[in-house]
Amino acid sequence: MIGFDFFVDKFGIFLTILFGFIGLMSFIYGLATMREKGHRLEYYLMLLLLVGSGIGIALTYNLLLMFIFWEISTFAIWRAVAYYRADQDLSAGDLSFILNFGAATIMLLGLLMIYLDNGTFNIFQIRVINNTAAIFVLIGILTKSVTVPLHIWLAPAYRTVPSAIGGCLAGIGENLGVIVFMRLFVTGTFFSASFFNTVAWIAIASSIIAGGIALRSDNLRNLLAFSTISQIGFILLAFAVGGTFGVVGGMLYILAHALAKSGLFYGVGIVEDSTGSDNLKNISCLLRASPTLAVAMAFLVGSIVGFFPMIGFFSKLNVIIGAVEHSAVFGAGAIIAAVFTLLYSTRFYHELFFGDKCESKKIKFKRPSYTGITVVFILALVSLLCGIFFYKPMSFLLAGGM
Amino acid sequence: MNEIYYLILLPLVGGLLGLLINRLRSELNFLGFFLTLFFAVRFFIASRTQIISFSLISFAGIDFRFYVDSLTGLIILFNAVFAFLIWLYSLKAVSKNPRERFYYIYIALALSAANGIVLSGNLIFLLIFWNLLVFSLYGLLLVGKKDSSFAARKAVIIIGVSDFIMMLGIVMLFVKAGNANMPLSPRIQLTSSWFIASYILIMVGAIAKAGSMPLHSWIPESSKVVPASTMAYIPASLDKLLGIYLLTRISYFVFDISGSLPIRLLLMIIGAVTIIAAVGMALVQKETMRLLSFHAVSQVGYMVLGIGTGIPVGIAGGLFHMLNNAIYKACLFLSAGSVEYRTKTTKLDQLGGLGTRMPITLFAFFIASLAISGVPPLNGFFSKWMVYQGIIKFGKESNLWPIFLIAATFGSVLTLASFLKLVHSLFLGERPRALDKVREARFEMVVPSLLLALLCIVFGIFAYRIPLSNLIFPSIPFRVNGIGFWSPILATILILVGIILGLIVFMFGTALKPKRKQIFIGGEVLEPEEISITGPNFYSSLHNLDLLEKTYQFGEGGAFDFFNYLVGIASGLAIIFKDVINRILVGIYKGIGRIISGLGGFISLLHNGELYNYVGWIFLGGIIILLILVF
Repeated sequence: MIGFDFFVDKFGIFLTILFGFIGLMSFIYGLATMREKGHRLEYYLMLLLLVGSGIGIALTYNLLLMFIFWEISTFAIWRAVAYYRADQDLSAGDLSFILNFGAATIMLLGLLMIYLDNGTFNIFQIRVINNTAAIFVLIGILTKSVTVPLHIWLAPAYRTVPSAIGGCLAGIGENLGVIVFMRLFVTGTFFSASFFNTVAWIAIASSIIAGGIALRSDNLRNLLAFSTISQIGFILLAFAVGGTFGVVGGMLYILAHALAKSGLFYGVGIVEDSTGSDNLKNISCLLRASPTLAVAMAFLVGSIVGFFPMIGFFSKLNVIIGAVEHSAVFGAGAIIAAVFTLLYSTRFYHELFFGDKCESKKIKFKRPSYTGITVVFILALVSLLCGIFFYKPMSFLLAGGM
Repeated sequence: MNEIYYLILLPLVGGLLGLLINRLRSELNFLGFFLTLFFAVRFFIASRTQIISFSLISFAGIDFRFYVDSLTGLIILFNAVFAFLIWLYSLKAVSKNPRERFYYIYIALALSAANGIVLSGNLIFLLIFWNLLVFSLYGLLLVGKKDSSFAARKAVIIIGVSDFIMMLGIVMLFVKAGNANMPLSPRIQLTSSWFIASYILIMVGAIAKAGSMPLHSWIPESSKVVPASTMAYIPASLDKLLGIYLLTRISYFVFDISGSLPIRLLLMIIGAVTIIAAVGMALVQKETMRLLSFHAVSQVGYMVLGIGTGIPVGIAGGLFHMLNNAIYKACLFLSAGSVEYRTKTTKLDQLGGLGTRMPITLFAFFIASLAISGVPPLNGFFSKWMVYQGIIKFGKESNLWPIFLIAATFGSVLTLASFLKLVHSLFLGERPRALDKVREARFEMVVPSLLLALLCIVFGIFAYRIPLSNLIFPSIPFRVNGIGFWSPILATILILVGIILGLIVFMFGTALKPKRKQIFIGGEVLEPEEISITGPNFYSSLHNLDLLEKTYQFGEGGAFDFFNYLVGIASGLAIIFKDVINRILVGIYKGIGRIISGLGGFISLLHNGELYNYVGWIFLGGIIILLILVF
């Protein structure tokens, strides 16, 4: 029933390298920012658990093993969110734990049903998945890979998580659900079209709604949270429509989003530490205070929006090709979501770095650590290089052989 | 073909090296731009005789390939020419800007992207460079005279949205047709609704790049805050070349719109509305750059109109107008920039009488003004005339042609009128005392505008021999007939009517103003500017006409601004999403939480720690078990 059930394919390698890199960046950023914080042992443990569980899910073919890693990640997220142990941290942590754990329990029911139907947990040998089981598993997936209407836990979690581990949460934790979705549903060919259509609609609706909420958010972390929900919608849409472009687009989107969002998380962490505020209304004109950060964040925001020299462009292009192959309406929905992304991203960037009468204003900005800025810059640079040499990751994934 | 790589990489390398080695910036930039120009000329000559097409990489059915024909060569040549002239002009004009260092890298990046757009033979490949151009536009707009961040944000949103729309169109084409090569053979006829949607979506991207209404509003917005050279480079020349290039490519090389009347009517209506609405707005502006920027929008209408006719002479006219417009509009922006450089203002009511102080600038500006107004024998006249010809021939297919013709003529009238105003308020009339010390602009700034003005004259006088038969006719896949000069009487009469009417509008504007008289006001001495006719107010009487007043108020208030609607709709939706949907969802979760904790509270009530309570429960349980066992 369970053993050392791991396998390596191109997607697995891709995700392993990505998660390892994101974890490394998070670690380096943490070296600079977590130095004075208490109980650091817990921080390192949770960081490693998160990275390890992500890699485990990417490489296993046994559903039960997958579920065990899934629960490890839930646990790690819980402790990471409640890291500072004030009342609000604890309640945010509990909220994320209760919701994720509850959904995971439902998911476990679904997995057991799959086991009873097929007699195995090996995803390569699964032949049938009945509708109830699929919906149960989907509930777990949509909760971990936050999708409206199961998104409620993410914004409080983002607000309290230390930014050093928040990058990992955004880059690894949120992707686990869609990876399971891809492994379980997309790689098999046995499933009804109406199921995928429903998931695609949920993904588009989630992406647009979250984009709209991000446009109205003034709190930096809230904005990042809803931006993540909106981007995860694109990934889910990509896997739901399937096909070569859909799957490759989804994987590329995981890459683009993980790099950009964790970079933005660290950037926001630096801004918060230096200005002492986490509200867009109170921060402006940072371009003069820290041009390096402004340049790096411009690349990252560009990658989220999907402008060319960044990898975000190709992931968005592939997702949209995949969506249009399925139906032009999905393509149009994705475009509307992309327009929302453009609007909230430009608002976020401009309110942070520009503003009225910047020349004469006195800006309160404590000089941030070089390590932190370097990490943001490296992530921006990697996004840029992946975009310029887009055919490398793309042909690597295409050779993955669906 | 190594030249292809040179054309894309050389400007970028020059710009990057210049950014890194600040001391040698001008030299390195010069090398980059000059070598690009050199290769562009060679490339242009080569492209006359051969068609080059080869694949760079190809995977997943997307063929990243280059394609070069004579249309490509034409645009490449002019891209390089404009970039070189703008670079020369900027040497002095932008030298006091604190972000000067970054200005040149964006100019270079824009040239690379523009060359890439024109060289790519696949719409998806083209999209890459198209996106790169957004990046450089954003950077270029951020290098402002004052805080230009809002204009940059507005531009990036408008262009970004139109790019996404275009991306959807290209993807639809790619998915259905199997590839997105450009040109595509056989061309796609617009019969199925899928392809019509695809064409319209790509078309939106193309005309948005060209600056046509309703996606134009970032141009007037940024005209106030960025250097004149930026305006001359991106919205006035590069964007026109690229947008109209793409429109031509998709209309006649990928799709074939000549078989579809409704689509062509749609294009022509967009063109006509753009001409009239934008020139109307231009007429009442009181600021040089803003006025010019509305003309940059208005002139796109002629190109779209010409290409929309589907008649060879109209298409050729549209392309020729694109070229001419890029030349004279760049010249206008640059000379107006020279005036601003010396006088430090763009407000028309603070300018005047600079003709004797800046004679060369006056000459260039005047020639370009006449060209844009369509006065023979300058280049603008011939291209407009060809567009008129196209519209008249289009009359065989649709009865709507007089409307387009009237719109085009009327647009010409108002253009002439507004340029008479502009020339008057900049160079003629009284000179305010503050401007007494103004000198001619610097050499580096005068040369580009003068060259462009001379090009206006050459392209006008030798219209047929030089530009048309060498540049335009080889670039379109049709034979152009009916270019015998002056023979079609209607078009010629219309041009002349346009000029006369323009003069009448000008007279009308000035006649309503009181003429200067000696005024006696109790011995006080008045400054000249207080008693003279100021150019900016020529058409304020027009502004005050009841019928137009409301429209102008709407226009100035941003009622024709796509950006406002987009942001408005998005914010409205965002309020619904955040304050209704999200709140309801959070409420549901809270409700569930409350029910569960309430249940827990109820159960905890039962555990009150008193012995008889538990004994009671034990008895109750025992009875239930007994009952189950018995029955």
